[in-house]
Amino acid sequence: MAKTTLKNIHLSHFLELLRLFGELHGPVLSDQGVFSFAPLASASDLQLNYSRTQIPPKKYLLPFREEILHYQKGAYRQAVPYGSETVLFGVHPCDLDAMAYLDRVFLAEAADSCYATRRANLTLVGLSCRPDDFCFCSGPRESAACDLFLQAGEDGFSLTARSAKGEAITAAAADLLVETEKEIEPPACGSCNVLPQDPQLRFSAHPLWVKFAEACVSCGACSVCCPTCYCFDLREYPSLSGGAERVREWDNCLFVTHGEVAGGNFRATRLERLRYRFLHKYCGFTPLTGITSCVGCGRCKEFCPVGIDLRELFQDLPLDCGRTP
Amino acid sequence: MTLLANHPDTPFAAKLLQRRQLSEDTALFTVAPEAAALPSLSRFIPGQFVQLSVPGAGEIPISPADLAHEDGTVDLCVRRVGHVTDALHQAPEGSTLGLRGPFGAGFPLAEMTGHPVLLLAGGLGIAPLRSLLLHLLQNGERFGEITLMYGAKKPTLMLFREELAELAARGGLRLYLTVDFAPEEPWGGFSCAVGLLPDLLKGFSFDAANSYAAICGPPALYRCLGADLERAGVAPQRILLSLERRMRCGIGRCCHCALGQKLCCVDGPVFRLSELKEIPEAL
Repeated sequence: MAKTTLKNIHLSHFLELLRLFGELHGPVLSDQGVFSFAPLASASDLQLNYSRTQIPPKKYLLPFREEILHYQKGAYRQAVPYGSETVLFGVHPCDLDAMAYLDRVFLAEAADSCYATRRANLTLVGLSCRPDDFCFCSGPRESAACDLFLQAGEDGFSLTARSAKGEAITAAAADLLVETEKEIEPPACGSCNVLPQDPQLRFSAHPLWVKFAEACVSCGACSVCCPTCYCFDLREYPSLSGGAERVREWDNCLFVTHGEVAGGNFRATRLERLRYRFLHKYCGFTPLTGITSCVGCGRCKEFCPVGIDLRELFQDLPLDCGRTP
Repeated sequence: MTLLANHPDTPFAAKLLQRRQLSEDTALFTVAPEAAALPSLSRFIPGQFVQLSVPGAGEIPISPADLAHEDGTVDLCVRRVGHVTDALHQAPEGSTLGLRGPFGAGFPLAEMTGHPVLLLAGGLGIAPLRSLLLHLLQNGERFGEITLMYGAKKPTLMLFREELAELAARGGLRLYLTVDFAPEEPWGGFSCAVGLLPDLLKGFSFDAANSYAAICGPPALYRCLGADLERAGVAPQRILLSLERRMRCGIGRCCHCALGQKLCCVDGPVFRLSELKEIPEAL
């Protein structure tokens, strides 16, 4: 039988071994008391049972602000992103699926070179989750959108390599692994809800939209903490040397400036902006029309300062925790 | 550092060759992009847009005001209204700029062949329509009657007026000009109607059932002209609108130009009225 089980007592050794594959990052508790993906100085910093980080792992692929073009001596050139090989440990299946969605956007035709470089430098180690009241994905499950996936059980973890990188890690960790005695089952799904199956129907003129819009303060938190929101703005700054840098920054469709054009604004009201955001989220748009990018991570509900809960819209849909995505 | 000048997000270098002031705040800039840019620029279809960079200031989407020139130069009509256009208007001739594109969907020229075309331009909207107009006139035998109705706020803001008058005098173009306000001082030189574009359209008789219409102007214009044209009998799928949004990336990624589930930079900027009816925020 293949050796694919990592006992709990070997986890810290395993984490040390992961450092051979890049700078090790994982979920930690920040000074502000929120979960955050950050460098793991020591294994004791790891928050293995974290619920969700406030800022999703998209920051590893799309930093909040980064130079994408550099102008010098009469020519624009693509910037080379900073950073090196990184191993991100402990990413939940919803966040893994979210990164797979971002890959579809940024690695499609004319792949974004900064994104592609960061993506190639990133090793993703997935970890099964324990859903809480905020989650609304289709249930605890594995995600194939990683290099290596760890299914947590009582005594340890069951490892599944999902890429050549993942196989290299399990090969390097062979001494730490033991034969599987019994399959580690995903924990039973208690609280998770289900994403709507036919979202288009929910975007008709439902009175809840008005209620949401009256409460919404356009802070944009739902978009900042969304693992699949990738809207960006481009700005350019001159440098003292006579050159310039073009910078890509996260933008936010909840902000009133987002729909501005000369002489008008096509989404001037909060109702329009809120609806627009969730239309995009659940129904997709060119070229990903029809693809729901919500992964049910629950961040938008947890971090909304006025408690907007989209599940109210979806509540009359049948619960089906066993549905496969 | 690798030079990947052909990636669509990276501008080619372009030299500002000439600047011709058209009105108090608007000028026509002729730019010459480096040779590597020419293969893509030569595929320009009227209605598409390019991204013009002013190094150190930023980038703006502009629809070329002319067809692709054989020497590779591009004419861009730009009003001085903001940060980037300010910097452009201050740039001396010979400055290095950046250019990438063209992007998006232009006017469906093949489909329009054989039909009369009515162009309706408001203000700066004449710029994108000028490239369409020049294409239609160059290929006049392939199209039906060509009409341009052009409205500006006041006579001094009417762009390309002499050129348009000359094209009309050569035949092949029916030209109607109007200004919103007649100045108290006599402006001399040309005659035009006083009133809004929809007023001009009201008294106009044309083969509506067989016509294509192309509209470009300020947002308010689309709402009334689209309905007026439909009432006159033009099919909504033949009413073509060149929409304005703040396209940042131009390649369908930044989401800044979204209207409903469409993106202006990829699906547009030229849309059919029939496509936009279901999108409440489009017009």
